Amino acid sequence: MASPVNLPLSKIEGFILGIVGLASFLGLWFVISASGLVPRQFLPTPLDVVARTFHLLTEPFAGATLPMHLAKSLERYTYGFLLAAAVGVPLGMAMGWFRWLDDIVTPIFDGLRFIAPIAWVPFAALWFGTGIGGPIMIIFSGAFPPCLISAYRGARYVDGKYIEAAQMLGTSNLRTIVDVLLPASFPSIVAGLRVGAGLGWQSLVGAELIVASAGVGYMMVQGQSNVSTPTVVAGMIAIGLVGLLIDVALRQMEAFVRRRRGLA
Amino acid sequence: MSAIVFENVHRRFERDGKSFPALEGINLTVADKEVVALVGPSGCGKTTCLRLAAGFEVPTSGRVTVGGAPVTGPGPDRAVVFQQFALFPWKSVADNIAFGLRNQGVPANTRQERVSGIIKLMGLEGYETAFPHQLSGGMQQRVAIARAYVLDPEALLMDEPFGALDAQTRIVMQEELVRIARVNPRTVLFITHAVDEAVYLADRVAVMTRRPGRIKEILDVRSVRAGEQWNQHERIEDVMDLESFVHLRTHIWRSLREEKIDAVH
Amino acid sequence: MRISRRLVLGAATVSVLLIAWALLTMVTGTISTGRFPSPLQFWQSAKQILTVGYADGTLIQHALHSLKLVIMGFLVAIAVGVPLGLLMGWSRRAEALINPVFLLIRPIPPLAWIPLAILWLGLGDAAKIMVIFFAAFVPSVINTFTGVRTIESHIIEAARMLGTGRWRFVREVLVPAAAPMIFTGLRLSLQASWTTLVAAELVGALAGLGRVLNMAQQDIYPAMVMVGMAAVGVLGWGTTRLLAEVERRTMPWLTP
Repeated sequence: MASPVNLPLSKIEGFILGIVGLASFLGLWFVISASGLVPRQFLPTPLDVVARTFHLLTEPFAGATLPMHLAKSLERYTYGFLLAAAVGVPLGMAMGWFRWLDDIVTPIFDGLRFIAPIAWVPFAALWFGTGIGGPIMIIFSGAFPPCLISAYRGARYVDGKYIEAAQMLGTSNLRTIVDVLLPASFPSIVAGLRVGAGLGWQSLVGAELIVASAGVGYMMVQGQSNVSTPTVVAGMIAIGLVGLLIDVALRQMEAFVRRRRGLA
Repeated sequence: MSAIVFENVHRRFERDGKSFPALEGINLTVADKEVVALVGPSGCGKTTCLRLAAGFEVPTSGRVTVGGAPVTGPGPDRAVVFQQFALFPWKSVADNIAFGLRNQGVPANTRQERVSGIIKLMGLEGYETAFPHQLSGGMQQRVAIARAYVLDPEALLMDEPFGALDAQTRIVMQEELVRIARVNPRTVLFITHAVDEAVYLADRVAVMTRRPGRIKEILDVRSVRAGEQWNQHERIEDVMDLESFVHLRTHIWRSLREEKIDAVH
Repeated sequence: MRISRRLVLGAATVSVLLIAWALLTMVTGTISTGRFPSPLQFWQSAKQILTVGYADGTLIQHALHSLKLVIMGFLVAIAVGVPLGLLMGWSRRAEALINPVFLLIRPIPPLAWIPLAILWLGLGDAAKIMVIFFAAFVPSVINTFTGVRTIESHIIEAARMLGTGRWRFVREVLVPAAAPMIFTGLRLSLQASWTTLVAAELVGALAGLGRVLNMAQQDIYPAMVMVGMAAVGVLGWGTTRLLAEVERRTMPWLTP
């Protein structure tokens, strides 16, 4: 066979190819838009988007500037995510530890699992209107499953030897939970939090598209109604960027935890 | 004539921008239809030697030839038996064995014949449609050996072929290999950690120094085997009980000990 | 014994919840049916939408419409995503070229494509498929890519040693070896397809389960919302089971 599958490229070659790929993409985008092949109204040039983003940094649109919308979004997101973690992690661990709890909760969870988090939006709207409760509930429903499952797995599949060693040493149940179970499950929990954070952020977008009166998702919907495509794209980039930052931050934390635990 | 020849082979590898020597000045010839075992301390480069002959790696200087032709890449003329078997889990036993022949464009009926033949030789009858995961380790390695043999290769390269097997299966497989080699002699280069295995199976045993690896000494087992008539004994444990066998084995252990085999590399 | 205990407890829990649900909504009135429907109301709404219809269609019509879109979007997404993942996994050059663009697109949450899709394609089916595509193709690419990259090196070396030609290598070594992870990607893609479709239909649609949910919300008809959610759940479960069955049959060599 001609070329081997897995020989890494030299750093230079990788870098150059990366630049070529990116430049081709941006260049193609620019040409298609600027030449009028696709009406500029529908496909703004990359520069249009950048200009609009700068504009939105200081000038309000749909009630607030971009940073203000972002702040609103982040506020709800934080509440929703913290709630999901605060409920999901302890419950998951308890389910991992107490079989009877697992047996009770799992059927309920399995029943609700296939309902896409976004399908809770109408109920959220009915119960909370356009208040903050709605988006929080959606974010919760997105972030909750990974937090629960990872805590559950972390607790349930803790190497039995740790538990046996603790019992052999005469540790009380509470102590076992705090000093053995919790630290041993930690890496799994942190990984789950990271996934939950990502899903929560994605759910937020969905929620804001439908039931919000502020926030980046709302800004995008307004941009769409006003046929201001650069606004929509600026919103997409902002959401993507913040989501990326959240993920990077959590990955760092996860790596840190793993190093501390001697796992990496 | 299919001989494996290492001509003044050097191999360096890079890490963190620095280069380290793995092999230095390897000169070794495995003659046509000869079985040579390569033993040495961990990290000495014996696996690298095998990979160079197989064509998975290239020497930094010097060259490796097989059957007179320089090795430039892997191919079915230098069949490899891997320690981890490397069978395709999604193919049946028969399909795994036939795969190399298909690549060579061997027509279906000839292929069928050759595959059946090797299945019989390796004691795999009845397992043709089984998947690898349904077989024990020993059986899987039989399939891997069958897959290599059926190619009718110039050279057979085995990388600790029985390393992943438990001790008892290992012994059975060693006996099997001797039996097959009688029926179907090949040029073989194999790597092993087990000195017993090397002495039992090989015509010559090459001992390597620790890294950077060089050939320290080569022992001629064939003449001892012939002279002391090891082949008279059916069972491996009877051969391993012989004084001449023990003598050779101890010699090699001492040689390895000098390389401080218990040092962490 | 463990399994039946779980079944018993599970069944018991569900029954208890159902009874509690009925009691709290219909008997004691603790939960106001303006906010949360009673089992009876749920049943009545279900009957309504199944027979007479709601939001311009019966449940079957809406469900089929949504299902059709999910399947179309999903299939297009994996038809692009899996080969792309294979290419990027196999060729370091392709990876280096494509990765930067992929990294730009990837962080954008699928639902964030909805406003753009509506701008470009309106409220019809095409916009939905576009959004599903962007949502579903990312997990397929990533998982296929990972599947290729995590193939054990000795498998690849064995294939090379056996003199495997390029296309046979892809068909008979690369793809089967990566298959388990490819299916993981497909599962995630299917999940993403459903989530995105429901969301897109909630934002604006002319038919489909999302439209049912949307109308029910606007009509302040919680029982119908519940019916809609149940339908989404059932279809989601059904398609997931179907995929699992395909997975099982495509990979008979995996230990059951």
